[in-house]
Amino acid sequence: MIFITINTGSELICFLAALIFLIKDKDPAWKLFIPYLLLTCITEFTGVYMNRIAHIYNYPLYNAFLLFECGINSYIFYNLYKPYKKTGKWLIVWYCAFIVMFIAELFSTHFTTFVSTTATIMSVVFVFASLYFYYLKLMDENFEPLMFSAPFWWISGVLFFYFGSTACNVFFDYLAKSAIIIHGHSIRYYIFNLLNVILYSFWSYAFLCRYLQRRSFSS
Amino acid sequence: MQISSEEIIFLIGLTSLIFLIAPLFLIIYIVSYNRKKKKHQEEKLLLQKTYENELLKTQVEVQEQTLKTIAYDLHDNIGQLLSITTITLSSINLDNKEKAAEKLAFIDDLTNRSIKEVKALSRMLHAEELVNRGLAAAIEFELEWLKRSDKFKIHFEKENFGAFSSDSDKETIVFRLFQEIINNIIQHARATEIFITLEQIENAFKLIIRDNGAGFNVEETLKRKTGMGLHNITKRAAMIGGIASITSTIGSGSEIVVTISY
Repeated sequence: MIFITINTGSELICFLAALIFLIKDKDPAWKLFIPYLLLTCITEFTGVYMNRIAHIYNYPLYNAFLLFECGINSYIFYNLYKPYKKTGKWLIVWYCAFIVMFIAELFSTHFTTFVSTTATIMSVVFVFASLYFYYLKLMDENFEPLMFSAPFWWISGVLFFYFGSTACNVFFDYLAKSAIIIHGHSIRYYIFNLLNVILYSFWSYAFLCRYLQRRSFSS
Repeated sequence: MQISSEEIIFLIGLTSLIFLIAPLFLIIYIVSYNRKKKKHQEEKLLLQKTYENELLKTQVEVQEQTLKTIAYDLHDNIGQLLSITTITLSSINLDNKEKAAEKLAFIDDLTNRSIKEVKALSRMLHAEELVNRGLAAAIEFELEWLKRSDKFKIHFEKENFGAFSSDSDKETIVFRLFQEIINNIIQHARATEIFITLEQIENAFKLIIRDNGAGFNVEETLKRKTGMGLHNITKRAAMIGGIASITSTIGSGSEIVVTISY
């Protein structure tokens, strides 16, 4: 039971939602969520094991996961922009810049901590990417019922998560060193629990919307 | 004053909360804007439907007008010609060959005139097609018909008038406006002269119809139920993005200017 936390629980539910609703999806970008969320769950369980059982630092694991997180989310953004704008070049430029930042930070910290600056910059970029999607949606003349729009809810989840985590990312070093504990956990833990629940709830709903949309098209 | 760790952590928590509220409001804004977009799209659709209905009505009215003209012509013109032909035929006395030849020549003339009238009517039946060939051609054709009645002196001018619009629906509506205005003049104006001008000015097209009839009080007529025809003219002009201005002085005729920008 030590492995089941609010974080891992919400991730697992979201993975199951992706498995049920997206397994027959024809769009490879949406189908990619199944392996991505499986990887997220494995990372999270391994992280819990390293931290609570093996009592070793788990930041190298989360550093490696950040590469997938950035790559897959950026690719999904690129796919969601497709009906409005071609952003292929920007995707490549952004991912290259991210890799450079990531490696530079790893070397500057001598591989001893989480790459928080790179993660903060990534969060800011994803916030802007989400806002840009909203802008494209506002400018689009065609009406789409947003309450049942999978891209809209996926992006809203991303915006909540990355915008909400900005404060934690900015004060990452302080929070990492801080000994302030509330009921055995740091404030960062509680904030990320809340953010994860929001993110994965929105994503699960987005997958459901995608499933309903696919079914209404096929019938 | 030094801030304690608890206070900093409280601030971080509060900032995170604020950072969560901001996207929430943004999402509410986007969703409500989207609803407005839906409403706007529905209104646009309704407007388009109204336009299509009005266009259909206009096309039916153009056809009705054509049929009315044909009915009048059959009764007053061809009917008369054929009646005279029958009477002349029945009055032929074959014993009086000279007179009979004279009457036969008259019948031949009457028959030829009847054929001409029937041909003209047949052209009239293709009035809609005429609108497709151009607004000016359709107006000219209609005026030719009006000239035959000899009730009015018609002055028609086309100043710098090329093609008006690539949208034939718009031209049909303008043609119907022209017909409605002319009908009003025939029925109510007691005019002897009608002046029609078609002109193209910068980014706009103008149709001016003036008569020397009795004139009327524009404001009062628009208020009365009898002003429905005038309302119809202004409404239809507005429907295709135009303006119909009506001016009239009692005793010295009226003028209607239809301006449509393109």
